[in-house]
Amino acid sequence: MIQLRELSVEFDEGFQLKHINWQLEPQQHWLITGANGAGKSALAAVLAGYGEILAGSTSGLPAKCGWVSFEAQAELIQAELKKDDADITDVISLGTPVREIIFTDEIDPVMARELINKFELDYLLERAFRKLSTGESRKVMLIRALSCHAQLLILDEPFDGLDSATHTLLQNHLAQVVLHTPVIMVLNRFDEIPDFVSHIAYMENGELRHQVQREDTKAYAELYQLLHLKTTELQVPEADADSKTPALDPAAPLVKLHNICVKYPDMVLIKDLDWTIKPNQHWQLSGPNGSGKTALLSLITGDHPQCYTNDIFVFGFQRGNGESIWQIKQYIGYVSTALQWEYRVGTSLRNVVISGFYDSIGLYSKSTDRQKQIADQWLALLGMQNRADQPFNKLSYGDQRLVLIARAMVKHPPLLILDEPCLGLDDLNRQLVLALIEKICAAQETSVIYVNHHAQDRIAGISRYLTLKKSCDNS
Amino acid sequence: MSNNYFNTLPLREQLEQLAKCRFMHMNEFTDGVEALKGKKMVIIGCGAQGLNQGLNLRDSGLDVSYTLRQTAIDEKRQSYKNATDNGFTVGTYEELIPTADIVLNLTPDKQHTPVVTAVMPLMKQGACLSYSHGFNIVEEGMQIRDDLTVIMVAPKCPGSEVRAEYVRGFGVPTLIAVHEDNDPQGQGLALAKAYAVGTGGHKAGVLMSSFIAEVKSDLMGEQTILCGMLQTGSLLCFDKMIDKGMDAGYASKLIQFGWETITEALKYGGVTNMLDRLSNPAKIKAFDLSEELKVIMRPLYNKHQDDIINGTFSSTMMADWANDDVNLLGWRAETGETAFEKTPAGDMEISEQEYFDHGILMVAMVKAGVELAFETMTAAGIIADSAYYESLHETPLIANTIARKKLYEMNATISDTAEYGCYLYNHACLPLLGDFMKNIDTDVIGRGLSSDDNGVDNARLIEVNEALRSHPVEAIGATLRGHMADMKKIV
Repeated sequence: MIQLRELSVEFDEGFQLKHINWQLEPQQHWLITGANGAGKSALAAVLAGYGEILAGSTSGLPAKCGWVSFEAQAELIQAELKKDDADITDVISLGTPVREIIFTDEIDPVMARELINKFELDYLLERAFRKLSTGESRKVMLIRALSCHAQLLILDEPFDGLDSATHTLLQNHLAQVVLHTPVIMVLNRFDEIPDFVSHIAYMENGELRHQVQREDTKAYAELYQLLHLKTTELQVPEADADSKTPALDPAAPLVKLHNICVKYPDMVLIKDLDWTIKPNQHWQLSGPNGSGKTALLSLITGDHPQCYTNDIFVFGFQRGNGESIWQIKQYIGYVSTALQWEYRVGTSLRNVVISGFYDSIGLYSKSTDRQKQIADQWLALLGMQNRADQPFNKLSYGDQRLVLIARAMVKHPPLLILDEPCLGLDDLNRQLVLALIEKICAAQETSVIYVNHHAQDRIAGISRYLTLKKSCDNS
Repeated sequence: MSNNYFNTLPLREQLEQLAKCRFMHMNEFTDGVEALKGKKMVIIGCGAQGLNQGLNLRDSGLDVSYTLRQTAIDEKRQSYKNATDNGFTVGTYEELIPTADIVLNLTPDKQHTPVVTAVMPLMKQGACLSYSHGFNIVEEGMQIRDDLTVIMVAPKCPGSEVRAEYVRGFGVPTLIAVHEDNDPQGQGLALAKAYAVGTGGHKAGVLMSSFIAEVKSDLMGEQTILCGMLQTGSLLCFDKMIDKGMDAGYASKLIQFGWETITEALKYGGVTNMLDRLSNPAKIKAFDLSEELKVIMRPLYNKHQDDIINGTFSSTMMADWANDDVNLLGWRAETGETAFEKTPAGDMEISEQEYFDHGILMVAMVKAGVELAFETMTAAGIIADSAYYESLHETPLIANTIARKKLYEMNATISDTAEYGCYLYNHACLPLLGDFMKNIDTDVIGRGLSSDDNGVDNARLIEVNEALRSHPVEAIGATLRGHMADMKKIV
């Protein structure tokens, strides 16, 4: 039995959990939920032995935890980047292969092997971990946690970034695991609660506010309501009249990709693809993990080296004819998990939003008063007006995501690319973001490309769909 | 044998060239990449610098391709893969050099003479040859065809950072220069500026220097404070802690990560800030130790600077190149065998502040090394701006390599030229500090001052603070860090 008594814990970022009283019986499986920044992940981290205890006590904490979370994933990727000798030697480092990341001393190789087969990950064992897509690296994290004979399994948003096939596989696997191992789940979305969850813990401002038994249907429904608080009167802040980009030909397509091929030495990712996006068309892009969604988008944004070897027309430029990527990026607003990992800057929330006017990570130009005003309006919309001067890198994952969405929208770009924008958001904020996207779609100045695995997150106004398939061509 | 270019100049011109270095204003870059638009840029070499500079230049709308030796192409070596995987055209010297308007030589120093000798006859009339280091021109006296323009563009960061900062919408500080003997059309500066814009360097700050100032200050900095002092300091501090019975894992960790931690304070606020991180008694202790160190080591710094200025250093090193690097390789192996290098860092926690409190001697060594290198360079005619960049500014970058994989990593990372100079310094400095080290105990390296009495004499503290703050490296440092902060609002 795990017990936390009057526990107050502080984390590196200064975040505190206060007066936690919590008892976990061996046969219980808990869900921790709450709004972004409430302390869900922090509470889970305490069970894994993280944080500095300020007051109170714990007992029965497991010696060995299996832990999957964005923080743990980001930590591993950071460690990989730090190892990257290319930083300092004149050699391009290839990075640690997935095989070495998985098969460490703590891992039961038989269990890991079984999961690799189940997830069909054989094909990327020799690939560098840091080169994996979001979904792929998430699966690697899951395999590590599930095959280390943990006494307690902590799964912090395990389904985020997984395609629906993998999602089902994982649900089924967990149904077996819970028979012998207690599981703690951290989820933002009530609609994803697995059947085995027996108890729910609701966090708010670092405190454990409610503890509810799943069987108690009335209390459960109230909690659901609480998490679903509707927002009223969404007003999208105006664009900045002074930072307008050069006008585009309204008759020309925004994007015209012709006969696209993306190849790596060991595989062909995308083959013979055509895609034209005209002004005011809104698209939903989907496909399983590793089907090339992100690569396709980065051809448009100019972040993929193979955009120079493909037939790409964007915003009046035929790529490879002397245009700079900054001329392209000025027409695009962009959010993705990769951007969030790259956006490790200790600057203020306000500056992060303003950086959307300049397409930069960090702010290196003097901003105008008008831009500051607009940024503050966006922050108010997100309920963060009081935190405008706080450092971005101290925010919770979900709050960071919200600020980056504001950054992408701030200049009302002709093309808004939202690559799984709702990852890491709680229900309330997910609805806020979806409502924002609907407003932007309806306003007729921006075309939206929306990437999402969750079929239920359909957006009114998006009527065109592009679905990528996983290419198995390994020639 | 080569002919030292610097030594052929009259003293007046030597001094004039050494004194060149100025921080360029943002509005000097309003032409952007215009001077290179539509020009064919061919890069020789596709390592981390070559590849990442090429990616930036291409993303700035410029026409970039790579030329490699036939064998590298035939054997599909890593450099070939780096270029082709990123969708660049790759060809042999014969195929691409004749088409180039500007040839970017991004190979290591040692290859410059054979590479430049091979490509020069193939170059178009009136084309431009660009270097990222001036050694070949200044120390080896490479003569470039009269019709060719010769420039230098040197991003002051590793290749992967050159790329990462560009992608963020920024850049890295960059040094540019024009070789005045080879600027027949007077377009060298325009080309160098456009190149710096193409890599994003103009956003982070560009220094306009000369080939000579770059070489003579770069060599001096790297072999003394940057690499030499850190190597000698690592070995002496480690051996002292072991000698005094301290835990080897702790000693190893304190040094391996200590340089990085204490020089981080240097990066933000100069020597003053680094010493301000210490308690008052520790600060006075560090100050006294560094004064002592400066007296002992000053003749060594003078010797290094003299040998660099008169060419003794480069000719000695080139003799070793000609002798299959026997000295260099021997010294590298020797470094690998030192006790510090062979003792893995322990897994104990050391807090950021503890690195200062327990590393007073290391702080003193960095202070002494930075100030001596700066004083010696400026005394030799190098302008303070250059001297600052090649001493204080780069120390944290080198310290960072030691944090990764100790001296092995540092020496593998820096150029062969820097590594060679580093060993020369180390061999001379170790015995020089022998007597000094005899009086050193764990209060200044390893355990910290006993905390019974934190009191100091007011007058003495004021004196020490005044001395720290009034050193010339602090004045120029404050100015240049101010420029950088203006450009990079957010660090």
